[in-house]
Amino acid sequence: MIQKGAWGLASMAAVAVVALSACGGQEAGGRMAATDSFCASVLPKVDSFEAKMRAEHPTPKDPRYGGTVVVGTIGELSDGMNSLVASDFGSVQHQDFLNQMTLIQYDDSLRPIPYLAQSWDVSPDDTEITFHLRHDVYWQDGVKTTARDVAFTYERATDPRTAFPNPSYWDRYVKGPNGVEVLDDYTVRIHMEPQQEFMDPWRALAIMPAHLLEDVPPDQLKDHPFNTQCPVGNGPFVFVEHEPQDRWVFGPNYAFPQALGGRPFVDRYVYRIIPEQTTLLTDLLTGGIDIYIAVRPDQADQVRKAPNLRLIHFPFRNFIFVVWNSRRPQLADPRVRRAITMATNRKEIVQSLLKGYGTIANSTVPPFHWAYDPSAAGGLPYDTAAAKKLLTEAGWIDRNGDGVRENPQGVRLAFTIKYNKGNQTREDVAEIMQAQLAKVGIEATPRVEEWTTLKGELISPGHRDFDGAVMGWVSDFKIDDTDLFASSRIDQPYAWSGTHNPTIDTLLTELAEPMSRAKARPLWVRYQKVLAQEQPYTFFYFPDRLDGVNERVENVVMDARSDWVDTKDWWIDPAKRH
Amino acid sequence: MRRYVVRRLLGAIPLILGIATLVFFVVNLAPGDPAQYLLSRGMSAGVLAQMRHNFGLDQPLLVRYLKWMGSLLTGNLGYSYSYDRPVLDVLLTFLPNTLLLSGCALLLAFLVGMVLGTVQAVRQHSALDSGVSVVLLFFYSMPSFWLALMMILIFSLWARNVWHWPLWFPASGMHAASADLMSGGERLRDALMHLVLPVTSLTLLLTAGIARYMRGSMLEVVRQDFIRTARAKGLPERSVIFKHALRNALLPIITLLGLYIPLLFSGTVFIEYVFAWPGMGKTIVDAIGTRDYPLVMGGSLLFATMVVLGNLLADILYAVVDPRIRHD
Repeated sequence: MIQKGAWGLASMAAVAVVALSACGGQEAGGRMAATDSFCASVLPKVDSFEAKMRAEHPTPKDPRYGGTVVVGTIGELSDGMNSLVASDFGSVQHQDFLNQMTLIQYDDSLRPIPYLAQSWDVSPDDTEITFHLRHDVYWQDGVKTTARDVAFTYERATDPRTAFPNPSYWDRYVKGPNGVEVLDDYTVRIHMEPQQEFMDPWRALAIMPAHLLEDVPPDQLKDHPFNTQCPVGNGPFVFVEHEPQDRWVFGPNYAFPQALGGRPFVDRYVYRIIPEQTTLLTDLLTGGIDIYIAVRPDQADQVRKAPNLRLIHFPFRNFIFVVWNSRRPQLADPRVRRAITMATNRKEIVQSLLKGYGTIANSTVPPFHWAYDPSAAGGLPYDTAAAKKLLTEAGWIDRNGDGVRENPQGVRLAFTIKYNKGNQTREDVAEIMQAQLAKVGIEATPRVEEWTTLKGELISPGHRDFDGAVMGWVSDFKIDDTDLFASSRIDQPYAWSGTHNPTIDTLLTELAEPMSRAKARPLWVRYQKVLAQEQPYTFFYFPDRLDGVNERVENVVMDARSDWVDTKDWWIDPAKRH
Repeated sequence: MRRYVVRRLLGAIPLILGIATLVFFVVNLAPGDPAQYLLSRGMSAGVLAQMRHNFGLDQPLLVRYLKWMGSLLTGNLGYSYSYDRPVLDVLLTFLPNTLLLSGCALLLAFLVGMVLGTVQAVRQHSALDSGVSVVLLFFYSMPSFWLALMMILIFSLWARNVWHWPLWFPASGMHAASADLMSGGERLRDALMHLVLPVTSLTLLLTAGIARYMRGSMLEVVRQDFIRTARAKGLPERSVIFKHALRNALLPIITLLGLYIPLLFSGTVFIEYVFAWPGMGKTIVDAIGTRDYPLVMGGSLLFATMVVLGNLLADILYAVVDPRIRHD
C-alpha cells in the first residue's frame, strides 16, 4: 500500500518534471507570450515587416552568414532598450550597437563618424548643429526613421519629468522643444551654447521611435513594456525575446541599410545573464558561452592558456579610488590627503590585485585619452618618509605615544574606510590601506556596508555619513568633473569629497569652453596637476577591461569604445558551428 | 477535521496580513530607496526628487501603507520598479523555475533520505551505518555555494575538458542558448541535462537531515512491542519494516515536510546564483538590493502564505497518518 502509493506519487512527479521542463515558459519559435496590449499590437508588425524584408533582401551566398553567438556576463540589462531611461552600462551598449542607432559613432581614434546622421554642419558661432539623416533607415515595424524621431528623443531627454539618467549631457544645450527644430523629414537642427566635445552625447544617445512612444507621459517611460518586453529599434539587430534574469535574444535586421553593411552575419545573438563569475569561466571553457565579458584578473591566465580561447584586454574608462570626505576634521587638510596617497603602495596593489592588468590612476583622465599627462602625477610617489614629514608639517604628531597621530586639539588621525559588500577588490583595497597607513601613524578601519546604504550615505546632502569610501566611476569620453569637484555643486548628490578649490573651479569652467584639442591640452595638464595637489580622492587604478572570446567567433574588435563596437561584423567559423 | 481546517485557514488571514505589515515597515524603513539606487552621474537633487515622485515615494509612509493594503485586498500586488511589470507577473515568471528545481530536489531528498534512514536503522552499528553517517555528515556540513561550484567543476569542466567523459553536464542555465530551435525531444533532453547538477546539489544538501530524522525515528519504532509481535507472527522482514514500522516512523518526516514546503516557493539563493537558475530566491534577494519595494513585499507575502499553508498541510497529514491524533 505504501509502496503502491509511493510508486503512484513518483510517477506523477516524474510527469510533472517532464512537463515543467519541456515548457519552461517558451513558445515554439522563440517568442515569449506578450503580456501587454502594447506589445501585442507592435510585435506582429515587426514580424511581418521583417519577413517581407527577408524576402526582398536574400542573404548573399557568403559562408560567413549564419550561426549563433552567445555572450555571457553577470549583469542583466535592467533598463532595456529605452535610451531615455537606461542608466546601466550593458543596456546602453545594446541600444547603441545592436538594437538602435545613434546619430554618430566613434572611430578607433575617438573621432565622430557618420551613422544615422550621414553628415552634419556646425554653425560658425558654435551654437547650432544641423544633422542630415540617412534616407534609408526603417524602424523594425516598417515606419521610416525621420527627423521627428530625433526631435522627440531630444525633447524627452531634456525634459525633467523623464528623469533622464545623464542630464549632464545637456548642461550647455538648449533644453526642451526650443532646443530642436525639424527642418524637413531628414534634417534636424539642435541649439546649444558653445562647449567642448559637444558631439559626445550623440555618440551615446540612441534615437527612440516617436510613433510608438510619443503618447506615453514622460514620467511613465520608465515603466513602459517597450523597454524590456517589446523594444523596436532601427539598428542591425531585431529584438526576439527576453526572459528576465536569464537571457536576451536578438536576430538580424534584414532592412538594415546595405551601405552600412546590411544584415549582421550571425543568425542569432544571445545575451546570457550568469551571476557567478566562476560559472561564467566554466561556461566559456566548456562552450556554454562564446564570449565572457569582464573576466576577473585572476581568471585571465586560464583564458589565455586555453587552446580555443583568446583574451582581449584594453584600457578602459572606469577607475577605482578612495573618496575622502573633506568635511571631516581629520581629512580637511590637502596635505593629509596627499600624505595618505604617498603612504600607499599603489603599484604593488595593481600588481597583486589586478595581476598587472591595469594602470595607476592619478586623476579622472584615462591613460588612452588625448588629454592624459603621465607626468601630472604631481610628485606623489610611494614614499613613507615623505608622507610622515608632510603629516608632521600639517600638525599631526603622535603626542601620547599610542602609535596614532593627533592634531593640536587632540583629535586623533583615525577614520573608517567604507566599501560595499560583495566586491572583493574593494575590500582588499580597504584592508591594504589599513595596513599601510598604520605604518605612518594613521588608524584606518575598513567597514563593510550594503551597496544601496553606502550609496545613500555618499549622495545625501547634509547627511554624508562617511570618512573615506572605496568607489568606482566610469569616465565618459567627454571628461567633465564639474559634478564631482565644482564648489557650485557642493550640495548636489555627486559632490562626495566636498571640494572647495577656486583654482579647480576656474579650470573646470575654462575646460568646458569649446577649443581645439591642441589648445585644450595645456589646460588639461594643469588640471591634472592641481587635482593631484588637492587630492580629493586617492586615485588607484584604471583596471584593464578583460574579455574572453572563443576562437570560433571571428572579427571581434573590442576597445575603449565598447566591447560590442562591431557586433554586427562578428561571424562564426562555419566549421565550428553547432 | 473540516472545521479544524476552516478555523486554521481563517486564523491564517490576520497572521499573513500582520506579516505583510511588518515586512512593509521593515523594508521601507531600511536606509536608501530605489531612486537612490538608480542615481547616476549628472543627476541633480532635482532629478532625484522627480524620480522619487515618479515612484510615489514622496508620500508619507502611512499613506503608502494604506494604499498598498488597499490594493492588496483587491488582489493587486503593485508594479515592480526593476522589472517594469506587475509584481504578480514577475512572481509567476520565476515561480515555475523554482518549483521545478526545489520540487525535484525535495522529492529525491525525501525518497533517498527515507530509504537511507531506514537502512541505517535496520543495520544499526554496522559498517554500512557508520559509512552512510560519515558521507551524510560530510554533505550536510558543506557550504551550499562550495558544493555547487564543485559539482560544476567536476561534472562540467573536468568531465568535458580534462577526462573527456562521454557524458558531461552544462555549467549553468535552464536550457541551451538555441533551445527554442530544437525539436521537442531534443528540447526535453536539453532541459533534463540542465536540471541534473542543480538538483543533485540541492538534494545532497537536504538529504542528510531527512535521513538522520528517519534513522532516529525508525530506531525508536523498531524497538516497540508491536514490531516484536509482527516478527513473532512470522511476517517477512520487508513487510515488518516497510508496512508496519515505516508508517509509524513518519511523524518527524511530516514535520520536516511542513518545514520544507516553503522551499518550493522561496528557492535557494546560492544554488540559483551559481547555476544562473532564474528563480525566486535570487529574484527577491536582488529586489532587496535594488529597493524594489513592491516586489520584495509581494514575494514576502507569498512566502508567508506558503509557510502558513505548509504548516497547515503538515498538521493535516499528522491526522491522516496517525489515528491517535485528532483535530476538531
